Amino acid sequence: MWRQVLGIAYLESRWVRRQPLWLVQGLVGTIGFTIIIYVWGSLNALRNLILAYVVAGAWGLGLNIVAQTIGWDRQNRRLKHLVASPVTLPAYFLGVVLGCNPFLATQVLPALAIALLLGLDPLPLLALIPVAALALLLGAFLSLSILLRIRNPTNISAITNPLYTFTITLSPVYYPLIILPPPMRLPALAVPTVALMEAARWLTGYAPTACEPAWTLASLATWMTITALIVARRFKWGLE
Amino acid sequence: MISCKIKLLEDAAIEARGLGRRYGNVWGLRNATFSVEKGELVVLVGPNGAGKTTTIRILTTNLRPSRGRARVLGFDIVREYREVRRRIAYMPQEFIVGWDHTPFEVVAWGLVARGWPIGDAKAQARRWLELVGLWEERNRPLRTLSGGQRRRATVAAVLATEADVIFLDEPTVGLDVEVRHVVWRAIRETVAGGASILLTTHDMGEAETIRDRVVLINEGVTVAEGKPYDLVKELPYEYRIVVGKFDGLEEYGEYIDLGDRAVIYARSYGEAVRLVEELASHAPIYMIGRVGLEDAHLKLVRGHVEAGAGDSVPRVQVG
Repeated sequence: MWRQVLGIAYLESRWVRRQPLWLVQGLVGTIGFTIIIYVWGSLNALRNLILAYVVAGAWGLGLNIVAQTIGWDRQNRRLKHLVASPVTLPAYFLGVVLGCNPFLATQVLPALAIALLLGLDPLPLLALIPVAALALLLGAFLSLSILLRIRNPTNISAITNPLYTFTITLSPVYYPLIILPPPMRLPALAVPTVALMEAARWLTGYAPTACEPAWTLASLATWMTITALIVARRFKWGLE
Repeated sequence: MISCKIKLLEDAAIEARGLGRRYGNVWGLRNATFSVEKGELVVLVGPNGAGKTTTIRILTTNLRPSRGRARVLGFDIVREYREVRRRIAYMPQEFIVGWDHTPFEVVAWGLVARGWPIGDAKAQARRWLELVGLWEERNRPLRTLSGGQRRRATVAAVLATEADVIFLDEPTVGLDVEVRHVVWRAIRETVAGGASILLTTHDMGEAETIRDRVVLINEGVTVAEGKPYDLVKELPYEYRIVVGKFDGLEEYGEYIDLGDRAVIYARSYGEAVRLVEELASHAPIYMIGRVGLEDAHLKLVRGHVEAGAGDSVPRVQVG
């Protein structure tokens, strides 16, 4: 299966091939932003920023790039071509994620490197791996559950871009949930990125959490179930 | 009606029996019944909307049939779809294998995605790109190549898989004559290598040139199956005359209306000579020739339509 994943990843690296300067832009932006945050907010702010980078990066990768790639593959008949081959759905999905992954890497790796240089404890960062995987899956599923219903999937960015702004910029992702008034904290967990950030804070201990972990997990489980069900209903790997 | 028998092949690469597919209340395919032997190239021909693509999409396990059964290399396409997928390759209609990658990358890494070791995949990519005349362009992104070059890369990517059964949905549509010949050569070499191919086309010249057998499908029903020569032989005519249309043309029997021109058929050489002499006094003669697969196609489709196009339509099996 690893060959299938590798082959698909190479063929699906079209965004990287088409816009290699995006990688440079991401890299430079991350380094610059990390320095700014550290200078103005010290290590404490940097801890929050790293959590937000991982969650926002993985979420954005799933929501925008992975889902758009799958949408394009559906539109240009590549999926039909791949269904009639030994390639399986898990291999295809992993290949797409791997092929798009350089974008996440340019965002997360420099921030992590700088944080480690500044003396941040690296062990809790391991806890971010499952959070990042969940953020990517949830972002892709949410985007696909919309994309598979609209007539022209190539216009998906018209939907995903505002969605990204709402879930990442407006919601308490780059700033802590705890600063919201207490009555607003629990309802805010209904936004998946807020729940993901709470999970990241809880698992790493990098920042204080505002709600009981049970509520966070309940929100994530609900989102995952609903979007996975919608995608499973609409997205068939052949035998439609 | 010529014959109604349905030939059952013992050693079939593809065997479809009564395949049908419904889209809502509409049957896109009603009764596709035909076989493809191992090492054979069968061309599926028929008018737009006849059900060619639906048939291929069912056989490639993309679509679930609403009725009927089919086997590919002995494996049931629904119950044993995983086994089927391991042994097939499919080039969908209008499919271009890539845009930002190079021909070498799409062929080689497409093979890796099917499980080939990278070294073998690269050697195979070279072989096929040389065969389709793209080796010199191997490192240019596909978006910078012509439409014909992109199509050749796509054909190479599909044929290089060495799949046992290959499905090509209109692989040469829109290509110029020279590029078509390159693609035909690649297809015939694949068949010579032992693969079975099911190919769809609108182009009767293409069907006559590269096929081993032809299956004619119309309104979701396969209506004839055989070698083009045998299908043509069943026509009651030997010659076709393209003539300018004029008042009173109907006196010369059944004709095919082409706007300001018409095709008239003659049963023998003598009749053709007589018709030409008579018609020439009324309108210009544009072409005289022997009937071909296109005429057989027109006649069979028209006969089928006139017969009512039901599921029990007479089935033609010749050759």
